[in-house]
Amino acid sequence: MRWKKKDLELFFQSKEYVDTLCIPLVPLDLQTESEATKLADQNTSLQIILDELERNYTGRIMLSPAYTYIRSTDYESESAILKQWTSMFSNNHFKHIFLLTYDVNWKKHERLLDSNLIWLTATTIEDYQSDHAKKWVNEQVLQISELIRSYW
Amino acid sequence: MSEKKQPVSRRQFLNYSLTGVGGFMAASMLAPMVRFAIDPVLEATSGSEMHAVVDVSEITTEPQRFDWTVNQVDAWYTSDVTKSAWVYKDENDEIVALSPTCKHLGCAVSWASNPDYPEEFFCPCHEGRYYKSGLNVPDTPPNAALDLFEYEVKDGTLHLGNIVENTVQEGGA
Repeated sequence: MRWKKKDLELFFQSKEYVDTLCIPLVPLDLQTESEATKLADQNTSLQIILDELERNYTGRIMLSPAYTYIRSTDYESESAILKQWTSMFSNNHFKHIFLLTYDVNWKKHERLLDSNLIWLTATTIEDYQSDHAKKWVNEQVLQISELIRSYW
Repeated sequence: MSEKKQPVSRRQFLNYSLTGVGGFMAASMLAPMVRFAIDPVLEATSGSEMHAVVDVSEITTEPQRFDWTVNQVDAWYTSDVTKSAWVYKDENDEIVALSPTCKHLGCAVSWASNPDYPEEFFCPCHEGRYYKSGLNVPDTPPNAALDLFEYEVKDGTLHLGNIVENTVQEGGA
């Protein structure tokens, strides 16, 4: 399910079945072109993976809008805000909260977080419609969903 | 007197030409309006869209998942949407194309994905189960059979279209 009116109506009707939340963590940085385009590309590929994950597990996974932050941030204070997000969500019942990101800094600060962090290693995809890219996305989705299902 | 030499008077000439020009202008305004007015009628005849999915020779008696991409135009943006179907041939050699969307809360089901139920479609979210025909197994969360895709075979290729309700009553397990 997504942060959409129709999905949320269904969510409030069948709350007991939707117990997993995924939040993408998306860093922003506009200092140099190469960094900015890299981050934008990673954002696209993370979104594609999460869209596909959501499509396969619509009835149990809620996909949150991305948590967006400035990359040169202080991760200690950032994680405090992120904790507010996750506690707001889990108070409203989500049993499993997963944070998905390409940003390795979160991996370094994992101890500050109280949710499950899934850190994906970055890759650059030129053409998202190519068979190679589709295979790669499917493989990523399969592995992430296997991990998530092990918590259910 | 001089008017008799002229078969068309100045007044008549202006009348004719104004009627002509006015009529032409009215027609050029009305023609598209008429076209818009009857457009829904014309549209209806070319309603359901079929998409080529797979070569018929690849379809076996074992359900297989096939994906295809549809260019979907919403009011605000255009996007490529991936769709999937579970396709097999039943005992009468008829093609069955089932929608993978679980009738419970919309997760994607897959064939024989649970080792405990090797001859059923299984939903990983809340353990919904369906027989091969798409009929839901009683006492599992779903309360309806998996939907079917409309299909046609053109030049040896399976084309799938709209989703229709599956009226199957008996299990194909």
